Amino acid sequence: MDEFERELRQAFARQPAPPGLKNRIMQRRRTASSRRSFPFFAWNGLAASFVSVSLCILAALAIYGGYEQRQAEQRRKAEDVRQQVLIALRITNRALNHMNHQLAAHGRARQESGDN
Amino acid sequence: MKNRIIAFIFAAVALAMPALAQTAQLPAPSPIEKELAARASNVSEVTLDKNTLAFASRFMNGKDKDKDTTKQLIDGLEGIYVRDYEFDKEGQFTTEQIEQLRTYYARGEWSSIVRERDRKTGESTDVMVKVANGKTVGMFILDVEPKEVSIVLILGPIRMEDLNKLKNISGLDALSGVEIKTKDKEKKDGEQ
Amino acid sequence: MARDWQPDFEQLVDNHQSMVFSLALRMTGDRGLAEEIAQDVFLELDRHLGKIESAAHACFWLRRVAISRSADALRRRRVRGIGLWVELEEHHGLQLEPRTSPLGGRLEGLLAMLPEPQRAALILRYQEDLTPEEIAASLDAPVATVKSNLQRGLKLLRAKAATHLKEFVREKEYARGV
Repeated sequence: MDEFERELRQAFARQPAPPGLKNRIMQRRRTASSRRSFPFFAWNGLAASFVSVSLCILAALAIYGGYEQRQAEQRRKAEDVRQQVLIALRITNRALNHMNHQLAAHGRARQESGDN
Repeated sequence: MKNRIIAFIFAAVALAMPALAQTAQLPAPSPIEKELAARASNVSEVTLDKNTLAFASRFMNGKDKDKDTTKQLIDGLEGIYVRDYEFDKEGQFTTEQIEQLRTYYARGEWSSIVRERDRKTGESTDVMVKVANGKTVGMFILDVEPKEVSIVLILGPIRMEDLNKLKNISGLDALSGVEIKTKDKEKKDGEQ
Repeated sequence: MARDWQPDFEQLVDNHQSMVFSLALRMTGDRGLAEEIAQDVFLELDRHLGKIESAAHACFWLRRVAISRSADALRRRRVRGIGLWVELEEHHGLQLEPRTSPLGGRLEGLLAMLPEPQRAALILRYQEDLTPEEIAASLDAPVATVKSNLQRGLKLLRAKAATHLKEFVREKEYARGV
């Protein structure tokens, strides 16, 4: 490997990913995910007791902390919608950019043929 | 594996029910879309009605620049309906299917403002707007590339110039936004 | 068939986001587009996670898809009759972050002038340190084609660099006080 190739290798060291890229990926992944797994309850006495206790705790939370939960859920849902908006805008942007290129190419072709 | 969210197409419904021109409603999907989806390797479909957009907009406060820009774009919109079909290889759809899609939308109150064709590559872009009482109340884009078909339907007061804001949103700033000039628009209108 | 290796998506993102981003960046020359491609690649990985058999397979898969999607993105943005490097100069300015090698930014601009197959081969060679056989597997191309692309790409790069690097070398020497 000569000097040029060594400089090339140095120059092409990996660039660090942009800040927040991972978060954006994880957010999009959450939005895209449509699978939910639901707890499967084994209906034996112990499980039934566990469920009863859980329901009581949930009821208490609903009474004393329900508002905050709903707000958080709403924020999450709104964020999911925002991610869908971004997906739609991303596709729109791609389509418009393609349109720009086609228009530009068309314009150049006309110039070359003397139509303008 | 296909990602599926929901998208609908508007024009046929608007034709059949003129009263709906004042209040945009979800359109029925074209049968062609099902054919495209069946052959696509990746499908993205988004449908967001007025209520959903208004709900999300409430949570986009001014603290985040991206959210603020997104909010500006979607405020007042009646709906966003987008479908994107990506194919593993070329030749997965025909020009007849695309023409059927275009005909499905290009009826009634929709006017074409951009119609670009590349006969060699088969690529094309159609942009149409719907105007009511002198105001734009909808925009439709059909973008066709050898391995991708994109359908964008935005209902509500949207202008092409508004879409320039797209480049201010992180992750979208790579693309150049809208550059239609009046001269091109007049050319396209003259070619109709 | 049961497998011993269990994929951890978040860990894969941590481990490979720089690689995927860099591949897309070097192929397209556009940071914003490269990030978009990187996001798409990882979301596609998520959809195919069940088919990934090992950490090495994940790395191989990510490289392959990153290059493929970058090439698709370039094709979408190509303007008839004008090479991509002109578009990059006019619209994007190749504004890359400063890096340790003073030649880095210019060399990437020169790389953008190469045809995509040569560009992809060189990126995988000098960024990822892959052998021609590994590059051929990543690009699903014959080894002979890869070797030819490497050879021609490097030759073209040298020729273009020779005319552009004189001033860069002078800058370097000036910085050293030569």
